[in-house]
Amino acid sequence: MSELFSEAILISILAGTVRIMTPILFAAIGELVTQRAGIWNMGVEGTMLMGAFAAYIAATMTGSVWLAVMAAMMAGVLMGLLTAFMTATMRVDHFISGLAINLLAGGLTLFWFRIYIQGRAQPTFDGFDAVAIPGLSSIPWIGEILFTQRLLTYVAFAMVPAIWFLLYRTRWGLELRCLGENPKALDIKGINIVRRQYGAVLIGSVMTGLGGGFLLLGFSDRFLADITAGRGWLAVVAIIAGNWMPRRVLLAVLVFALLESIATHVQVLGLNVPHQIFLAMPYLASIFILAGLRHKTNQPVRLGIPYFR
Amino acid sequence: MSETSAISARARTRLTIEPRLNKNLRWTLTMYCAATLIGTGLSALLLWTSGADVTRAFGALLKGAFGSEKAWIATLSKATPLILTGLATVVAFRAQVWSIGQEGQVYAGAMGAYLGCLVFFGLPAGIYVSLIILSGMIGAALLGTAAAVLKVRYGVNEIISTVMMNYLIVFLLSYLIGGGPWTEISTSVVYQQTPQVPETARLQYLLGSNKLHLGFVFALVAAAICYVLLEKTPLGYEIRAMGHNPVALSYRGTNIGRTMLLVMAISGAIAGLAGVSEIFGTSHRLRADTLYGLGYSGIIIGMIGGLRPLGTVIAGLVFGGLASGSLYMKLLAQVPAALIPAMEGILLLTFLCAGVASRYRLVRVGDGDV
Repeated sequence: MSELFSEAILISILAGTVRIMTPILFAAIGELVTQRAGIWNMGVEGTMLMGAFAAYIAATMTGSVWLAVMAAMMAGVLMGLLTAFMTATMRVDHFISGLAINLLAGGLTLFWFRIYIQGRAQPTFDGFDAVAIPGLSSIPWIGEILFTQRLLTYVAFAMVPAIWFLLYRTRWGLELRCLGENPKALDIKGINIVRRQYGAVLIGSVMTGLGGGFLLLGFSDRFLADITAGRGWLAVVAIIAGNWMPRRVLLAVLVFALLESIATHVQVLGLNVPHQIFLAMPYLASIFILAGLRHKTNQPVRLGIPYFR
Repeated sequence: MSETSAISARARTRLTIEPRLNKNLRWTLTMYCAATLIGTGLSALLLWTSGADVTRAFGALLKGAFGSEKAWIATLSKATPLILTGLATVVAFRAQVWSIGQEGQVYAGAMGAYLGCLVFFGLPAGIYVSLIILSGMIGAALLGTAAAVLKVRYGVNEIISTVMMNYLIVFLLSYLIGGGPWTEISTSVVYQQTPQVPETARLQYLLGSNKLHLGFVFALVAAAICYVLLEKTPLGYEIRAMGHNPVALSYRGTNIGRTMLLVMAISGAIAGLAGVSEIFGTSHRLRADTLYGLGYSGIIIGMIGGLRPLGTVIAGLVFGGLASGSLYMKLLAQVPAALIPAMEGILLLTFLCAGVASRYRLVRVGDGDV
């Protein structure tokens, strides 16, 4: 056993965990804002996929990582506008419209990807380099795990307190949370509900798109069909498992990412089990977490219910 | 507000949007026709981004779908699993159970049937095939029921749980046929598939073709059964009532939990049949790529079919045609077949909007009316 859990492997697993957390955290913290405003965006998976695809096109065409990040965020804006149009303007059932958006994203990315690579080898790109924070990165263990990550990873972690502050310490945040609990009160006050909902959806979708962009730029050098592989859904589950509170959402994302990191290290660890077990674990765990959370829910009352005056 | 009044003063009358008090069939039909046109238009726009000749590509698509007897047979064969997953959606969604587990249930059905194919090997052909179909349907119904139990007993949202189970079942299949006990042992390469199923286990071909199989008959029978079940039986009444007003239904004395279990079991069994018919009618071995996406497409087909069995059969035939025509289009106009899933997504969005628009009307109001 001592050989199994040798230092290097453990550090590799934990550093991997932090990296895997990044895209899910972006999406989960962003969508938390959306959900607090009463919009249940089920199209997270599709939005993330579009972000990753836009980043791929931009990265291979321009060679610039940061242009690719911009493209991923733009894709997030467009998908957010579509989501907000369906849920806030048309007031279609949030689940069904989200599902349509996922299917659309799956089809569009595959279609454009096939056209893009038609008749040539798939172009690759250089992703993010690790950025070591001077001083902190030389701390044994901690430095390697936490402070030699990609730049966007630091941004993702910084977003957690930022979003917390926005939601709980500003007037705008108070009104946004009220939107998920009692939109009528805001309506009576003369606040434009639809506009606020657009804002909340856009924040979530831009961050989800950014997460998709990181998924591509931070892990891979090429695009694959369905590259998100359920990470958008994991973000949604993390919000539920985190009981709609920023700190607990962070914790849920940490657990999911740790499981996935272990799964990718199964061969190194020499464990004689199918690696699918570890890949399946976040999904299995989330079902149990959801089942266990039955009565202690902090879910916004009007979540997923279209508002009619 | 001053702006709008200025405009209306200039125009004297203006158009406003009002909710309709009751549905108007002609208006509803107009809206859905508009949705079809707009959806097709957007798809054409998408096709145009590929740089292909739009009319040539669409021409090839239609010709490959409905242009000849051979095309029709391919279309019907492609439509078979889509009609079944569509019907599975209809049963669940009519009860407002938002299950999107059809995808996983297709896999579960295929796996259950393959297990049955191994266990019951050697029995007389008729009994053998029936038992295979039955075990597939049971496997998928169990998966559906699991989601219902989670919802009824533990209050887990069925959308989330079915999505999670879709992923879980894919991992299970990936283990079983990619290194696990069901993997085909081949001397050269390891394929992600099982060996071929025995001749006696396969579904019979129809009309002397080597594509269209008995599964298509199952799909039509399933549609008829769904119609009778939803419209003519007490359970169907409960399913529809659960969709409209579950509280009233529970005051009537109906056990909502039990109804939900039944709904998910029936929906699962139908989706499982799609998996069985694909494996034992078309590909003759268990592999993932032939099953991929059937469940998600079924949701769209059920929705576009207006959550009605007959509409679902028609939508299934149309999308089956597109799926088989897309192969011809790929050959003739070099357009990727992935156009079809994108088109499905676009059409679902426009149909959802049409559904909303059909509940409103445009009214011309004079100045003094506001």
